[in-house]
Amino acid sequence: MSSVGTEPTLAGQVMNYRPHWRRRVYAIAGLIIASVLVVAIATTIGSVKVPFLTTFRILLSQLPFIDITPGWVPATETIILDIRLPRIILAGLVGAALAIAGATYQGLFRNPLADPYLIGAAQGAALGAVVGFLLPIEFSAMGFGVIPMLAFTGAVLSVAVVYILARVGKTVPVTTLILAGVALGSLWGSIYSYLIINSGERIHGIIFWVMGSFSLSSWSEVAVVLPYVVIGIIVIILYSRSLNVMQLDEEQAKQLGINVERVKLILLAAATLITAAAVSFVGTIGFVGIIVPHVVRLIWGPDHRFLLPLSVLSGAIFLIIADLVARTVLSPTEIPIGIITAVCGVPFFLYLLRRRKGIVYF
Amino acid sequence: MKKRLWSMVVILLLLALASSLTASCGAESEETKPSLIQCTDQIGRLVTLEGVPERIVSLAPSNTEILFALGLGDKVVGVSDYCDYPEEAKEKPKIGGYSTSDVERIVALEPDLVLIEDFHTTEILPALENLGLTVVTIDPRTLDEVLESFTLIGDITGKTEEAASLVNEMAARIKAVTDKTAGLSEEERLRTFYVMWHDPLMTVGSDTRIHELIEKAGGVNVFADTEGYPMVELEALVNTNPQVIIAGTGMGEGADLPFTFAKTEPRLANVDARLNNRVYEINTDLVGRPTPRMVEALEQLAEMIHPELFP
Repeated sequence: MSSVGTEPTLAGQVMNYRPHWRRRVYAIAGLIIASVLVVAIATTIGSVKVPFLTTFRILLSQLPFIDITPGWVPATETIILDIRLPRIILAGLVGAALAIAGATYQGLFRNPLADPYLIGAAQGAALGAVVGFLLPIEFSAMGFGVIPMLAFTGAVLSVAVVYILARVGKTVPVTTLILAGVALGSLWGSIYSYLIINSGERIHGIIFWVMGSFSLSSWSEVAVVLPYVVIGIIVIILYSRSLNVMQLDEEQAKQLGINVERVKLILLAAATLITAAAVSFVGTIGFVGIIVPHVVRLIWGPDHRFLLPLSVLSGAIFLIIADLVARTVLSPTEIPIGIITAVCGVPFFLYLLRRRKGIVYF
Repeated sequence: MKKRLWSMVVILLLLALASSLTASCGAESEETKPSLIQCTDQIGRLVTLEGVPERIVSLAPSNTEILFALGLGDKVVGVSDYCDYPEEAKEKPKIGGYSTSDVERIVALEPDLVLIEDFHTTEILPALENLGLTVVTIDPRTLDEVLESFTLIGDITGKTEEAASLVNEMAARIKAVTDKTAGLSEEERLRTFYVMWHDPLMTVGSDTRIHELIEKAGGVNVFADTEGYPMVELEALVNTNPQVIIAGTGMGEGADLPFTFAKTEPRLANVDARLNNRVYEINTDLVGRPTPRMVEALEQLAEMIHPELFP
């Protein structure tokens, strides 16, 4: 990194990477505490009224070495431990995954609009899911049912095809990646629109899936999604320095000793895998991948070493709160979470954008 | 220009007057010689037919079933891709899916009557009207309106008597069920959950026909405080503790997934319906379509919810 500082024309950019070390470390610590609190608070709120203390006693009773005599009905325990808690944890995982994947795509493509839609991952997942809805078969493999399995496969295959198509000789230029992604994404989109209008009575379920929902989230889904998300996040954070350097142009990054093509492939694969795992069970949830990383950039700056972990935490908190709104505001009816993320997220984002008067790090 | 406008207004007024005079759907002398038949369809449009229709196109499975039940199968010249009952309906020329009705193919069939449903009113109805086709909308929201739709279709197709006997038969069968369930006390009416789809979890609200069928069959819809086909929370479902769960399942398309869910979802293991083994499935074509078969759905639901009353 020190060699970056010797480049005089980059002085301005380097300034953005340097200051507020302490502030951003505190921010990470603060957000970790906040996310634990948000999980705890979200568990106490739901369409079924469970007293605050009962909820905490049920939660505490699950911790080792704590002995609490149950003074609640079994249904309450089912609601708290097997319905609400896995749902909240899954929302947090998916929020974290989509946010860090968005930040990665944006850094990789040096494009502020990059998200799973730009590279065709989201449309591939949606197409796979719709095919899953319409197929007259039932199976499960590695914890995935038909629909999640095909959604996951759709996302991964779509990006793989985009990557192969975008190849020029031995390199994969960012521009061709984006163009191939947009083109194939549109193709998947039109095929899945066609399938939807011919889906007859399944149409309701499909539309709700596409708008995203944490309905019926269970511990088994958490267990399937967790490893992908955790490993993906670790891999991406390990490459955060490389992402910083790649914000210069690719030639300079190469001169600074970065194997640009390899880093690109690894980051693309990691971001796509965690996106695929995240959307496979809950549907394509928009806005999180774009808005969360930008909010983090606006508040704490564009250094990927902080941007990535801060995006993970902010994304988790944001989606847990959005899901809380989705399941409580019209209870017992639920609202698709994609609507909430847009309605709550966009005004806040626009407010930040106006307040900072155009200081966007891109 | 102005003159034409005035004459249009006069004609419209006369039409309105004529329709009010002939009550709702008047067509007394249609059997002998062609005369104007008028009716108000179920979305309140005034429709005039030039005589008894001989070539009928149906854009919805429910309308097709009613036409065949009234003995009009021979006059049906076109149906939708989803019209699968009775068997003969599958042999008819197809005019496309629900939302993808092919207007060209409809016109090519030269129908003198097109029966549509609520779903088609925004796009396909104006298109058909602009082409000068006679279109009647069938949009029953309640069980009574389902019976009314039979009368309406019977009146405009010269099958008034057939429709009347069909309505009487269905009304009698419905009454046979409601006579037994009407006397049930609050506690005897069982809390019933209907699984429309399982992921996301969807059920039926109080303004749906399925809700009405459940209530008439002696059940209480546990989500009666919702409307339409809402997505509901699993924790809210567990909290209502339904005594009976009925899953809507279709033919093919891996469509018994809602039933599998209702029987096996571990977090429902402690609700009364599961503890007492009261989880059932019903064909969505029976409960969902507003047809003569709907009474079968009512009878099946009544047997599921109150086997003691319907041995």
